[in-house]
Amino acid sequence: MPVVLARVDDRLIHGQVTVGWSERLRPDRIILASNEIAADPWQSRVYASSVPPSIAVSVLSLARAAAALRGGETVSERIIVLTATPAEMSDLAHLGAPLPSVNIGGMHFGTGKVEMLPFVFIDRLDIEAMRRLLVAGLTLYAQQVPGGREHVLGAEQLAAMEPRL
Amino acid sequence: MIRCLVITHGNIGAELVRVTGLILGPVEGLTAMSNSGKSLPDLKADLTAWLEEGSATGSPGGVILVDDYGGSCATAAQLACGHEPGRAIISGVNLAMLLGFLTWRENDEFDELVSRLVRKGREAITLVGGR
Repeated sequence: MPVVLARVDDRLIHGQVTVGWSERLRPDRIILASNEIAADPWQSRVYASSVPPSIAVSVLSLARAAAALRGGETVSERIIVLTATPAEMSDLAHLGAPLPSVNIGGMHFGTGKVEMLPFVFIDRLDIEAMRRLLVAGLTLYAQQVPGGREHVLGAEQLAAMEPRL
Repeated sequence: MIRCLVITHGNIGAELVRVTGLILGPVEGLTAMSNSGKSLPDLKADLTAWLEEGSATGSPGGVILVDDYGGSCATAAQLACGHEPGRAIISGVNLAMLLGFLTWRENDEFDELVSRLVRKGREAITLVGGR
């Protein structure tokens, strides 16, 4: 079960994922991991309908997504995993989902968020979640689209943001 | 009056609306919105505000034209519209659809207007020449 991309993106399923990354990585399945969306069949259908028919899609709670990734239900598939926030990605990792690294793909401006990069706005909760991912041994990098600049987000970069929050 | 919102990536929608005004003159009830810099929840909130504004001014619902099926604009529009009647979301917006909308909206019933816009948008995509 290779996870070819684990991505934090508050737009979840959209063109950068279904066209940009999917053209590059050729996933067999996209797993959208969200407790809120998975609990709502209609919302789940809306998101799932945005995925091209050549790619399978699962909208799962964090626990079910972690179990699916851990348990080998999708053993032969290439998978893109999406969460809307770093906290949800951190939960997935701590539930045992085997993730290769974490791509911070899109965290748009919101109240209380500070710009880290033009496509990454964060608050204290986001930083704490990113730290948990680093402590879990995962590499973090910010990159919107394939071929775009890759920004490594390590402890040093997160610490540099602290005074601005 | 049936209202229309054009919601797109970047400034596509704003330019389509601007050019429509150059052709037909100033029009009411035709608005552009961009997804630039917005999270999906924020985009949905902006769409909800547009729908609420219509309800408050006696023109509930309307036609929402998006540039790309499967993109954040289309997803946010679906989430904002829910299952309410009198709201239609059409992807693949082009200039012909906007001109058709403004030409037909006064006389057409809502469902008829939506069908005509889909047909018009498809008819506008044609091999003009140069083979």
